[in-house]
Amino acid sequence: MLRLIRARLAMLVIVLFGVSIITFLMAHVLPGDPTTALAGPHPSQETLNSIRAQFGLDKPLPAQYLSYLSDLFHGDLGTSIRSQQPVTHEMLAFFPATLELVLVAFIVAIAFGIPLGVLAAVKKNSFSDYIIRFFAVGGVSVPLFWGGLVMILIFYAKLGWLPSSGRLDIELNSPESVTGFYTIDTLIAGDKEAFINVLKHLVMPALALGYVQLAFIVRQVRSSMLDALSQDYYLTGRANGLGKRFLVVRYALRNALIPSITIIGLSFGSLLGGAVVTETVFDWPGMGKYVTDSILGRDFPAIMGFTVVIALAYVIINLLVDLLVYSLDPQTRK
Amino acid sequence: MTQASRTRISALSAFAVITALVMGMVVSAPANAATSKTTLIVGMSADLDFLDPAATMDNAQWKITYPCYQRLVEYNGANTDVVPGLASSWTISADNLTYTFTLKPGNKFSDGTAVTAKAVQYTFQRLLKIAKGPADNFTAVASVKVSGTNTVVFTLKQVSPQFLYTLAGNYGGIVNPTVAAEEVAGDSGQAYLANHTAGSGAYVLTDWKKGQYLKLEQNKYFSGTKPVLKTVLFKIVGDASSQRLQLGKGEIDIAEGITSDQFDAVAKEAGNTVMNKPSLTVDILYMNSTKGNAALKDKVVRQAISYALDYKGLIATTQAGNATQMRGPIPNGMWGQDPKAFQYTTNVTKAKALLAQAGVSNLSLDLLYSARQPWWAAEAQLIQDNLAKAGITVNLKLTEYATARQMIDAGTFDLCLGVWSPDYADPSMFMNFWFDSNNFGLAGNRSFYSNPEVDKLIRYAAKITDQKKRTAAYIKAQTIVIDEAAYGYLYQKNYRLALRSSVKGYVFNPMLEQIYNVATMSKA
Repeated sequence: MLRLIRARLAMLVIVLFGVSIITFLMAHVLPGDPTTALAGPHPSQETLNSIRAQFGLDKPLPAQYLSYLSDLFHGDLGTSIRSQQPVTHEMLAFFPATLELVLVAFIVAIAFGIPLGVLAAVKKNSFSDYIIRFFAVGGVSVPLFWGGLVMILIFYAKLGWLPSSGRLDIELNSPESVTGFYTIDTLIAGDKEAFINVLKHLVMPALALGYVQLAFIVRQVRSSMLDALSQDYYLTGRANGLGKRFLVVRYALRNALIPSITIIGLSFGSLLGGAVVTETVFDWPGMGKYVTDSILGRDFPAIMGFTVVIALAYVIINLLVDLLVYSLDPQTRK
Repeated sequence: MTQASRTRISALSAFAVITALVMGMVVSAPANAATSKTTLIVGMSADLDFLDPAATMDNAQWKITYPCYQRLVEYNGANTDVVPGLASSWTISADNLTYTFTLKPGNKFSDGTAVTAKAVQYTFQRLLKIAKGPADNFTAVASVKVSGTNTVVFTLKQVSPQFLYTLAGNYGGIVNPTVAAEEVAGDSGQAYLANHTAGSGAYVLTDWKKGQYLKLEQNKYFSGTKPVLKTVLFKIVGDASSQRLQLGKGEIDIAEGITSDQFDAVAKEAGNTVMNKPSLTVDILYMNSTKGNAALKDKVVRQAISYALDYKGLIATTQAGNATQMRGPIPNGMWGQDPKAFQYTTNVTKAKALLAQAGVSNLSLDLLYSARQPWWAAEAQLIQDNLAKAGITVNLKLTEYATARQMIDAGTFDLCLGVWSPDYADPSMFMNFWFDSNNFGLAGNRSFYSNPEVDKLIRYAAKITDQKKRTAAYIKAQTIVIDEAAYGYLYQKNYRLALRSSVKGYVFNPMLEQIYNVATMSKA
């Protein structure tokens, strides 16, 4: 186990190096530079040059990259050109928002996805199987932004049950930032009204984002479950008179979950990506919107910072998934 | 069934049931009431970048800084002339090179320190040192000297008739010299002022939750009339349809993101108002006469294009009729405009004849545009269609904004869509920026137009203060650039804004687009 962790950490360094060089090149190959925001609509050449020099954009690319890399190894993600604030600060403001949304969406997806997947497999080709599969196909094929807008129309515009945007009503004071998760921070602050309000804001974006993941999990669990149900051990168990429920829950589910966990874990990364669309539709102040604006504004340090943080998250999630599989599947321990 | 399996299956279903229950409870909790009368909430489409008056060149950001700072002179309500602000009076020397301002005593910054001549000096020295966009407006300034606590003297290198007007712009906001203490690595306090305000205006920025909102609250040391609005919130609502829904529910009082096609529907909803005023923002067509297709070097070809354009159709389609066709480069409402100037009309026969006269056939031009303005896609297609009727093929080049800007700067395009709005109320904002051959590219002359006679006229007009002589020179130059069709002079836009009818006292000044006079606004 320790060896696994050590190997992964070594890989992390290589991945970060690769990611940083590729992103750096891609960002700088795009025509256009970040002077737009700073120089105004009709800058003189002198102003453009002076601003480029202030941000070191006049230096050759390799020199810019090396200086970035040396800062990175000192834990410094640089200063955002658009906001003039350290990128690390910006990440601390935006990343928890995305992570909170994605985690809640993930919980929703797992809470409903696994039971539904199991149910569909056990009752294969029954009416409930068809309903579940229909529901799952919807999640995979309905565009996220469309689903989100329909939800806003129903639950905000027509029924008035839920807010349409943001993390918290603007009239309520944001909680003191401890974890960056509003759900937890409002609890720490003991502000019940804000806590309920935060949850209300989470419902629609989490459902919209979670639905896609849920559909994915249902399909995955259903197929691995069907696999497990056709295995010899299951049939033998049945032949020996063991209960269907007992076999499904005790043996088949456990075995079906191992491949599912790997795939669900990896898809956590795609949730982070899907969050970009969700954040746009629901005005969720997360990384997705931040990085879109950064790319459009050619804010190089911010783009790099985002990529590095996401890459880091991916590697860590991968490691966690492997550790989970390791604890579930005795074969991997050999 | 064993105990373990039963526990496991009930745990799984309990997890699902609990998740569903929590969501149900959350949904059924009571919703919040409408906003209070002393709080104004403005819905804006995107978060802001940074707020240093010595660095920002974006009206969107000025909506925060403008009410937080005061300037030596201020725009006069809805008019584009200037009146005393922090300065109670000023004198201009006979040679027009020395401006002496006397400050009104008693003005205080948001930390209680007095606004003095030293603060004015600090502000402008800092701005010039930072050398970002705003510094471009003060290239004429040679020195800023303090002469007594309340007297400050500006010396100019050359006569600059627009100088007084630039002082009323956002970059003229006087900054508290205590900002110097916030300096990090020689940045003159830029990182600090990027997300703080330090002025003597009626409001102070008290909170900025990135991606969510910015909050202004009253400056308790403000010496003017106490504003009615205690709090002004700028809430980020990216999606236009969400803004419309929130406006309808009174969750926001002003919706900046309403798009051209939505205004009519928004106006019909109960409780909403749509303000519609002529602005000085113009929408034009750059015709690259130096670096573009060689045919564009010939003024006859550019004239042909100007005749081929369907101005009425463009205005009807892209602005739902809320715009006026331009009469040359200077918009209506700005002095210096020639009311008798020649105006192109749509005449396809004439366009064809002119192309034949120029000996041009099978002309094919690239039209560069970005998605920066929501109406540009429709506009580009219309122009393609208009020019096709005259026998010119137009290839649409939709390009991402930052890239398009680089191409405009380099001149690597034939035709390109652009908007322009003046920074100060002076015709030089149009004439000198657009036509001076030293100003190629982003700096302003985006048609890469060059005519020595025009250069001479506009440079002369920019260096004298006699408005009559300036007007005469500008009119002469206008006649030439209209005849030579240096740009496609499309239309002057109206400024439309959707707000709740309960919002009172908003005054639109064409020099201050997107900026609200929050200190004198209220809610019924």
